Amino acid sequence: MSSEIAIRCQGLGKRYLVPARRRGSTIENLVGHFKEYTSLVGRDEADYFWALHDVGFEVKAGEILGVIGRNGSGKSTLLKILSGVTDPTEGSAELRGRVGSLLEVGTGFHPDLTGRENIFMAGALLGLNRSEIAKQLDEIIDFAGIDRFIDAPVKRYSSGMYVRLAFSVASLLRSDILILDEVLAVGDSAFKEKSENNINKIANDGRTVLLVSHSMQAIRHMCERAIVLDKGRLVVDQPADEAVSQYLRSLHPDEGADLRNLSPLVDLTAVESEDWPRPFKTIKSIETATPSGPTRTFQTGETMLIRIRYEMPKLIAPCYFTVFVVNDVGERMFVSYSYHDQEKTEFPQRGVIECRIDALPLLDGIFHIDLDFGAVQTLGGMRYLDYINRATTFAVEQGNYLSTRPNLKNQGLFALRSRWNASG
Amino acid sequence: MVGSLLDRDTTTSMRVKVINAGRRSLLPSFSEVYDHRELIVLFVDRHIKSRYRQMALGIAWALLEPLFQLLLMSVVFGFLLRVNTNGYPYPVYVFAALIPWQHFTRTAMSVTGSLQDNLSLISKVYFPRIILPIAAMAREMFDTAIQLAILLILAAFYGYYPSLKLVLLAPVVLILISFAGAGLGLWAAAIVVRFRDVRPALSIALQGGLYLTPILYAASVVPQNLRFLYQLNPMYWGVETFRWLLIDQPLVWDWTLPVSLTLTAIMTALGIVIFSVNERTTVDVL
Repeated sequence: MSSEIAIRCQGLGKRYLVPARRRGSTIENLVGHFKEYTSLVGRDEADYFWALHDVGFEVKAGEILGVIGRNGSGKSTLLKILSGVTDPTEGSAELRGRVGSLLEVGTGFHPDLTGRENIFMAGALLGLNRSEIAKQLDEIIDFAGIDRFIDAPVKRYSSGMYVRLAFSVASLLRSDILILDEVLAVGDSAFKEKSENNINKIANDGRTVLLVSHSMQAIRHMCERAIVLDKGRLVVDQPADEAVSQYLRSLHPDEGADLRNLSPLVDLTAVESEDWPRPFKTIKSIETATPSGPTRTFQTGETMLIRIRYEMPKLIAPCYFTVFVVNDVGERMFVSYSYHDQEKTEFPQRGVIECRIDALPLLDGIFHIDLDFGAVQTLGGMRYLDYINRATTFAVEQGNYLSTRPNLKNQGLFALRSRWNASG
Repeated sequence: MVGSLLDRDTTTSMRVKVINAGRRSLLPSFSEVYDHRELIVLFVDRHIKSRYRQMALGIAWALLEPLFQLLLMSVVFGFLLRVNTNGYPYPVYVFAALIPWQHFTRTAMSVTGSLQDNLSLISKVYFPRIILPIAAMAREMFDTAIQLAILLILAAFYGYYPSLKLVLLAPVVLILISFAGAGLGLWAAAIVVRFRDVRPALSIALQGGLYLTPILYAASVVPQNLRFLYQLNPMYWGVETFRWLLIDQPLVWDWTLPVSLTLTAIMTALGIVIFSVNERTTVDVL
């Protein structure tokens, strides 16, 4: 094992027994129970399911490796194996140095013990002795910002204090390899920033960090490299930017199909919904495209074309079309009404209307489009006549729109070109 | 030369941990347990603090519980039923046996539940699992030490003062009983993760054991032709030794003592092996 490799995994796999179904007579249940828990009864491959299969990668000391994947893709299983909580069914892993893990915030914390006592408990779980922990004690308390409450039982802590203490313990107690599972998802923004800085500092000290996060921003921002797991297999091992893009392109929240393989043209004539009845089914189809052709994947800053084919039951004037763009967690990113374009409200009875967005300001992610059509009423009110929730889905990659330097990329929600002029 | 020294330095300062599929060891890693020795202290400390911290009477509960039990037994067996105790005062006679017996049962039950009760911990963080039963043994030792203190006061009240042999040998006997209890508990712990039914079953079996051991009555009531079987029970020897230490009741040795000790030692050693073989898969089935 070369000295600068901190983690090396080869052919790691983990299978679990599929729990026996509880049904039938008591005797059948008993047999199922025995089958599940004892090796005396024969099993075949159908009784198993592979949570992780043939995963191999290496991590250098001082590297921050991002681990990405959908829920159930095997991320947690991988981390459990590396932290030693569970054993692999096949393959091997070598880890150089002490492994600290934070698989869940506040692991090993006992509610009745004080913050101070819990710090010592957590340190001892890592195999540190009292004097090693005592050396870091002040720094931990200070980092968590809970010095006034350190001798109160942690059950009296607010959830924020609890989380801050847990993170401080895990990241400040000396470990050579730190495994963090979704810890950046907690805490307020100030603490998040402090934690991110701390993770960077850990890496600069030559220690290794494995970071699992659903936040593509965090992965892109903090990791040089990332691996993507899908159905228990490692499918991507690339620089973080590239890994995130590949992951996002492969993602389709509903069917798990690859966005690139889905047609950019979506037929909407048959869409029905209980929440949004469609008495007239005016909207027939939607297509996303760039000037060079139909697609579902876009670059930040690219021109995006949204084409809606429609047919009104009779000519409705004035009327409106709306495009709602929402992100994968359902937040509205922006809304475009047809009358935003010079108050246009007159359209032919049937045809294709194209919405053109000149410089798409979205950053990496998966987005949905909701469509709306309706009549503009005489007093200026609007009445919906057709609405389609999640009419289509597309992916955006940040690319080099703002900068070619990965660490100077945008970290906010939108990409806006700006001009900077110095004078004086 | 310098280069090789440096190489060695970097490799010794960084331990390499190898995780292999299918690794199973028959014994726990003693160096790993030694590295985590402070964890044992903290587990015991955590248990004691969390058990007594918010109680108004605090640690006094550790005394009140056995005292109350003793009171009941003295009234029922000593006063109402007038059980033969070879002439010794009933409370002392019973308590001298009850302490080692309860030490045994509590250790067995604590060890049995040690993995199951710490599931949230063992599914999140790695440490040698054998630490948990060891900590369970240690904290029962703590509770027993407190009860022993009451026993000594009670015995002094009846005119039995602590002798040198008691001071020297009682800890040894209690530790041996710990191992016997842990041996039983380790077997059960390995099975209980798969079949939870074992825990209540063991609890019932141990209640039965109370009557198969000369605790509430004197061993002399057992028919002579069944004595050898009766005496294979390791707790027979634990209880009788304790009475010998405290109230100087004569201890009659025979061949059943070494046989009983050997059987117990084998049981306990096998318990450790079974635990070690199973500890790696525990998380997956619990």
